Amino acid sequence: MSLFVDPKLGLIDGPVQPRLEAQSRAKSWYDWAGYAAPAVLDTVEFEYFALRNQASLFDVSPMHKYRIRGPQAQAMLNRMMTRDITKIGTNRVGYTLWCDEEGMVIDDGTLFRFADDDWRLCCQEQMLTWLLDAAWGFDVEITDESKEVAGFALQGPSTFAVLESAGWDVSALRPFDMAEVAPGILISRTGFTGDLGYEIWMPWDDALAVWDKIWAAGDLWGLRAIGYEAVDYARLEAGFLTAGVDFQPARGTERLHRGLTPYELGFGRLVHLDKGHFNGRRALLKAKDAPRSVVMKVDVEGFKPAKGALIYHRKKREVGHITSGLWSPTAKRNIALAHVQMPWAGKRPSDLWAEIYTLEEGKWDTRMARLTPIQGAFFAPPRARATPPARI
Amino acid sequence: MSFDAVIIGGGINGLVAASVLARGGKKVCLLEQSGHLGGLAAPGPDGGARMAHLLYNLSPLVRREIGMDAHKWPFKLTPVSTVALNPDGPHVVIRGQKAQLADGSAHPEAEAYRQLNGQLIRYADILRGLAEGGPLGIEGRLSSISGLKELWRLGRIGRKLKRIDKSEMRRFLQMLLSNAYDLILDDLKDGPLAGMMAADAVRGGFAGPRSPGTVFSLIYRMGHGGEVTWPEGGMGAVVTAFEGAAQKAGVDIRLNAGVARILLAGDRVRAVETTGGDVIETKTVLSSTGALRTAHMAGVDAFDIEAARRLRNIRVKGTVAKINLTLTKPVSVAGLTDDMCPARLVLAPTAEYVERAFNPAKYRQMSEAPVIEALRIDAQTFSLMVQYAPVDLDGGWTDAAKDKLRAVTLSALAPYLPGLEDAVAQAEVITPDQIEAETGAPGGHWHHAEMALDQLLTLRPANGMGRYAMGPEGLYLCGAGAHPGGDLMGLAGRNAARAALEVGK
Amino acid sequence: MSLKSSYDAIVVGAGHNGLTAAAYLARAGLQVLVVEKNDWIGGAAVSRSLHEGWTYSNCSYVCSLLRREIARDLDLPKYGLQVIPYEGGATFTQDGDYFAYYSEKNALKREMARHCPRDADAYQAYNQAIMRQCRFIRPFLLRDAPDPTSMRPRDLGEMAYLVKKAHGLGKKELGETLRFWTMSIGDFLDEYFENDLIKAHLAGPGIIGTGLGVYSPGTAYVLLHHYMGDIDGGIGAWGFARGGMGAISNAIGACFEDHGGTIHKGAGVEEILTKNGQVVGVALEDGKEFYAPIVASNMDVKRTFLEHVDRYALPLDFTKAVERFKIRGSSAKLNLSLDRLPEFPAAPEHASFIRGDMHTSESLWELERAYDDWKNGTWSEKPYIDMLIPSQIDPTMAPPGSHMMTVFVQYAPYDLAVDGTRAGRNWDDAHRKAMADTVLDQIAIACPDIRDRVLHMEVRSPLELENEVGLTEGNIFQGELTFDQLFFNRPLPGYSQYDTPIKGLYMCGSSAHPGGGVMGAPGANAARAIIRREAKHTRMKGYAA
Repeated sequence: MSLFVDPKLGLIDGPVQPRLEAQSRAKSWYDWAGYAAPAVLDTVEFEYFALRNQASLFDVSPMHKYRIRGPQAQAMLNRMMTRDITKIGTNRVGYTLWCDEEGMVIDDGTLFRFADDDWRLCCQEQMLTWLLDAAWGFDVEITDESKEVAGFALQGPSTFAVLESAGWDVSALRPFDMAEVAPGILISRTGFTGDLGYEIWMPWDDALAVWDKIWAAGDLWGLRAIGYEAVDYARLEAGFLTAGVDFQPARGTERLHRGLTPYELGFGRLVHLDKGHFNGRRALLKAKDAPRSVVMKVDVEGFKPAKGALIYHRKKREVGHITSGLWSPTAKRNIALAHVQMPWAGKRPSDLWAEIYTLEEGKWDTRMARLTPIQGAFFAPPRARATPPARI
Repeated sequence: MSFDAVIIGGGINGLVAASVLARGGKKVCLLEQSGHLGGLAAPGPDGGARMAHLLYNLSPLVRREIGMDAHKWPFKLTPVSTVALNPDGPHVVIRGQKAQLADGSAHPEAEAYRQLNGQLIRYADILRGLAEGGPLGIEGRLSSISGLKELWRLGRIGRKLKRIDKSEMRRFLQMLLSNAYDLILDDLKDGPLAGMMAADAVRGGFAGPRSPGTVFSLIYRMGHGGEVTWPEGGMGAVVTAFEGAAQKAGVDIRLNAGVARILLAGDRVRAVETTGGDVIETKTVLSSTGALRTAHMAGVDAFDIEAARRLRNIRVKGTVAKINLTLTKPVSVAGLTDDMCPARLVLAPTAEYVERAFNPAKYRQMSEAPVIEALRIDAQTFSLMVQYAPVDLDGGWTDAAKDKLRAVTLSALAPYLPGLEDAVAQAEVITPDQIEAETGAPGGHWHHAEMALDQLLTLRPANGMGRYAMGPEGLYLCGAGAHPGGDLMGLAGRNAARAALEVGK
Repeated sequence: MSLKSSYDAIVVGAGHNGLTAAAYLARAGLQVLVVEKNDWIGGAAVSRSLHEGWTYSNCSYVCSLLRREIARDLDLPKYGLQVIPYEGGATFTQDGDYFAYYSEKNALKREMARHCPRDADAYQAYNQAIMRQCRFIRPFLLRDAPDPTSMRPRDLGEMAYLVKKAHGLGKKELGETLRFWTMSIGDFLDEYFENDLIKAHLAGPGIIGTGLGVYSPGTAYVLLHHYMGDIDGGIGAWGFARGGMGAISNAIGACFEDHGGTIHKGAGVEEILTKNGQVVGVALEDGKEFYAPIVASNMDVKRTFLEHVDRYALPLDFTKAVERFKIRGSSAKLNLSLDRLPEFPAAPEHASFIRGDMHTSESLWELERAYDDWKNGTWSEKPYIDMLIPSQIDPTMAPPGSHMMTVFVQYAPYDLAVDGTRAGRNWDDAHRKAMADTVLDQIAIACPDIRDRVLHMEVRSPLELENEVGLTEGNIFQGELTFDQLFFNRPLPGYSQYDTPIKGLYMCGSSAHPGGGVMGAPGANAARAIIRREAKHTRMKGYAA
């Protein structure tokens, strides 16, 4: 008997696989929630510059999407989320986090408010049983829309123009607004790049047609399909965290005590302790002023990316590590996210050093690079917020 | 209207909690949904036993702390002899620790029984140290005041342990975790005596004697000496005494006052709203009803998602139906020369029989050959505990199902009580679903949560709620669902009240 | 081979634990003799050719728990041991469907979603909970269980380690851990899953080898006992030993002999000889006697003390505790030679899961009823079966194109009830055949053509397991894995550290902590205890030291 590969194993195709397959020169696929997703389609640099300079299209359909409907949808979500979600207006999108009972972040995501009794949560981690648990005792219905709703991230300075060429007027959309531009096609002014950009949501089966329509419209505007690596550059420049990289989602770890509170992640502003009870509030009240460690943005001395480097205080005591690091082609800075223990991550962290290992043509080297904490994003262009946006 | 504390439910635990708080200087109001006090201990119209019918575990500690006489109960307790019914031979009569055959001759295993029983009572005494306080576990640092107090308690239990020798202590640690079936049959031949012990080990529980952990439930009932007693004047006398203590302590007791909602402000208790619409302001609520029901009163959104999940995963399936028999003429026990009254007749011919009776309950069926504890109050009044009658009976507890249970029970008893079936004037069947409806005991379960190893101590009623505080500030559980459990002992109410007083300091 | 008459140590029984203990002792420089009643070694980790051309792993049949530390210390690969993981498994249903458990996570998730999308999501939390328990327990397997009543520094040290590990869990997780250890696997699964078939598939390891049902408290731990192993660090993975399970024992035996050890086969121990409370040697059935100041028994605790040690040499309460020790036969085994691979009509083409563990129990209730049958003294009307065809992966097990199938059967009582009596001797050929028929009916749910494929079949009731391997009642763990017989209670309170009331006499079988499952840990731990107490001039070498 010969052993064949079981056809049920492995990765499956997303909604626009034929287009991605045709574009893929690098043949570099990775596992995104079981889908074959492009890490790179041709070259990460050119994909990145398309994103920052013109327009880029990235399939985000593997994200998990859940619909929360019912008279008590708002109450249920407010009990689950750390921020006061009643402040998110109708046809608005809110960035939000949610915690376990111990105040540790389970995941972050975007919450779309269609109506008081109709919401969608879009997030990276699978969340169905958690939502069902959270919904117990409330008059709401949870539907997993992950395989019904496809999404594209259209990001870059020319994306408004691309949509205009496609015949969709989104000039009135402010950041975090959303609108149904055609039956079943929803556009939100959101993204994971810190730049001007939109996310387009549609029924799974319409994805190919919508892709083609955007593709055709992007012809004049330098639109390029991209893979995740370029997105990863951009998100770090924007100072955004990636679950599983910069923090460990509390429900996804086998090892204990890997979780971090929103305060430790620098999201204290998204915790509204005064809104009444919500999940993890009792623990967060205690944790608020006693962070154990902090994830912070830092500028790294020198030019070598610092990802994975251990961090030392006074070059001696090990106090943390770099979770993500990159030479930022746009900010022209060596940027990184650093996870640093208290008290070394305190009010004015100083004398922190990253021990960076480099391998250059067969030669390993190590150097100590000084870290300088940075407030705000590494790169936050005004064009990202202008309404109506510029075309280029 | 405003009180320092409101107690939900006027069962024994509710009354005890109210009394302890009132005696601690608090202004206390107790709300009872029905028209009478007592909960599962509440007597029938004649003052007899409607649901609970015997006392094992009344706590002298509770008696002292609620201001009853320090040395004796205000009602007379009559020790009840047990008759282990034997289908093919002389019954076994157990008085205290002595087992005899009904014909007066010595039981061949009398000595083995005495030793085993004595050992269990000794171990139960050790365990009582755990029941007479919150579950062990150090909340803060070891050097904190509460930490030191816990260490002191641990030391006291340790001292008790020290009094027994090393090999017995090892045996204690082993036995505590084992199953009643093996424990009993290691020392006794399978028969009525073994069957009686096996039945006692699982009474009220959703378990058969072979289930690991049932030795614990056997010992649990022996924490106060292991004696089975019947109060003179019926359960009514017991409830009256506890009610009197509460009144003397100054508790404002209100009947026909169910609680619709526990109102919160932010994350703390503000008031309770009765089903009649009255709002009673208070910062402290102790609930003696089920944990989940209490959570619903406060609103699920006042609890963390994990806490709510744990609450609904509490295993609580009542398995005992109560049948109260009134007879038209006296009926006596065949093969018993002495007309014992009151007497506890146990129908469990073997431990194996008890295990087999449990099998159908797992599949939501009633036992065709049930285990019965029949309290013969007088020659014309019998109070029966019939097991297993699972609360979630397939098809529900319809009238037909109740009729079947009644018929199965009577025919099971018939060989031992000749003429019983023809003498029945009234046979009231109270199934677990009714017990739940009448008393609020979840699942109709006496202990409000199965007394299994995974639901004891700090895990009772659920992990994270083991020290009476349920979550929102000022909300406590004081019923049998909390540590150490039920059995008309009053310790859960007492411990919860002390926990609430501690916070108020 | 010439045999001396005295040794530094004698090990009674050449099961994998006995050989492990012997090998560690020999590596430490002791002159060690292993005596074995059979003409072959291995105990229940054995490969036998009972049908020409086929090799049966006729007792234990898959491998996961064997500690990596032991394999490395004893250099088992050098002595021929190779363990190959297998790819998942499946439960087949009466109505022609199946649930496949793929070891590849995406395929598993899709397959779970095919049956119940909610459960596919719930699996993450379930797996997290199980893996956390595995991580918690694994460090304890090669350590001694402390005596909680002892004030000796070693016990206090081990106790402190336990408290530290428990405290390290944090309050909530400690609570969850205590719950897990005391729960039934049925209740545990009910908290996570809705789908009967998924639950039934996952529950199996919670009852394998025990006299408990899926709803008996403590079975969640039994499940853990089957998950806490690993293959090359892949926790919970199971695999085949190339050449059958005997390859494990043979490799350990070869290591032992390579370090100067001697194995004497073909004569069982008649008596373990003692003098004034000290062991002095063993007398064999064939009349030979060997002497040593140290004897380690790989036999279970009942067999050792109730059959092979002079009762008068033992304290009364010790003997009583041994008599109380619960060691119940609950499983049987079918080993089959097949002319070719049977058909699995439900399985899609190229299905990988037929190379894994296959079952046919569809719900927890079905499993619980199977337990009720056992309590009544009969084999289950619808037994839980754990069947594998190792010859698909291991070419040494059967001639090319032909196959070997191993079928583990739960439940089958040792003391079969026939005409009102319950006794092991009731297992005659007729009853064995009747049981085999029941099992073949279960197999036929997955492969309807199974009866046409069988060239040879070995049917092992608990009685055969007892008679041939020497396991009391044919219990595969040498003692029930219940709370009252685990950790410091295993095998007996006060004797959890491999010692016995007789000086120089030790226990090294899976009656001792941490129990059975072809782990090797009791053997290695016993060797450590022996070296520490008896051979102070030497030192145990290796990761298990």
